[in-house]
Amino acid sequence: MSSRSANETFQPVAGILAFLLPGAGHAYLGEVRRGVHICIGVFFLFFGGIFIAGIDAIDREEDFWWFVGQAPVGPVAFGIDRIHQNMKAHDPPPDATADWFEMNRPARMRSLGHVGEIGALFATIAGMLNAICIIDATWHAPRRRRGERGGDA
Amino acid sequence: MIGLASILQLGLLAPAYRPFIDPLPLTGWLWWLTLIPLAFGVSMVYKAIRVSSSFNTYWREVLLMTLQILGAMIGLAIGVHILIEWLVPVLE
Repeated sequence: MSSRSANETFQPVAGILAFLLPGAGHAYLGEVRRGVHICIGVFFLFFGGIFIAGIDAIDREEDFWWFVGQAPVGPVAFGIDRIHQNMKAHDPPPDATADWFEMNRPARMRSLGHVGEIGALFATIAGMLNAICIIDATWHAPRRRRGERGGDA
Repeated sequence: MIGLASILQLGLLAPAYRPFIDPLPLTGWLWWLTLIPLAFGVSMVYKAIRVSSSFNTYWREVLLMTLQILGAMIGLAIGVHILIEWLVPVLE
């Protein structure tokens, strides 16, 4: 059975900030460098997923359970989902013919197969890792420099 | 041949590709390469939480963890390949 660290504190504001922007919770707690690295890492994975699978990697309506994992990235995930839902409104009609595609270009392409799965996986892992960061910021135990007794610089 | 076909197809599809809107035209074996940035990104965030505040060893630990993940995945792939291609036919 694990026990809580003696210097662990409950930091709800840091938890909320960590949800609003990855890494912001740690930055608020004075660990700016840690926060910056978290932010870069989470956004690298999240936007890496969108880069691989296109905007179709984020789809709250059609891929709900993937989105549950992606949502902890914060408002950015919800914003991109909103943009994607707006693009879907301009999808080709069900009876679209070759002539339609000559006259129009779909707002976005669907990602299928491995590419679609890998892209969704990237974004979902980003969300899951940020969930760990949110928990770490909310129930926070400051790490110290090696051989140092004070807080983070 | 499959690799060459994948690269040629990538070249043909590239002009229509819109970054961050359309999926990457990764065909054939090319999608396996996405494991490298995936392992690197996971290592970046995980080590950002775990390392001491000085961050002196951060990039070294990120690189080490990335290599560990890639090594484990390649090892698993080799193990499963041996199991399916060599051991299972022997048992049948």
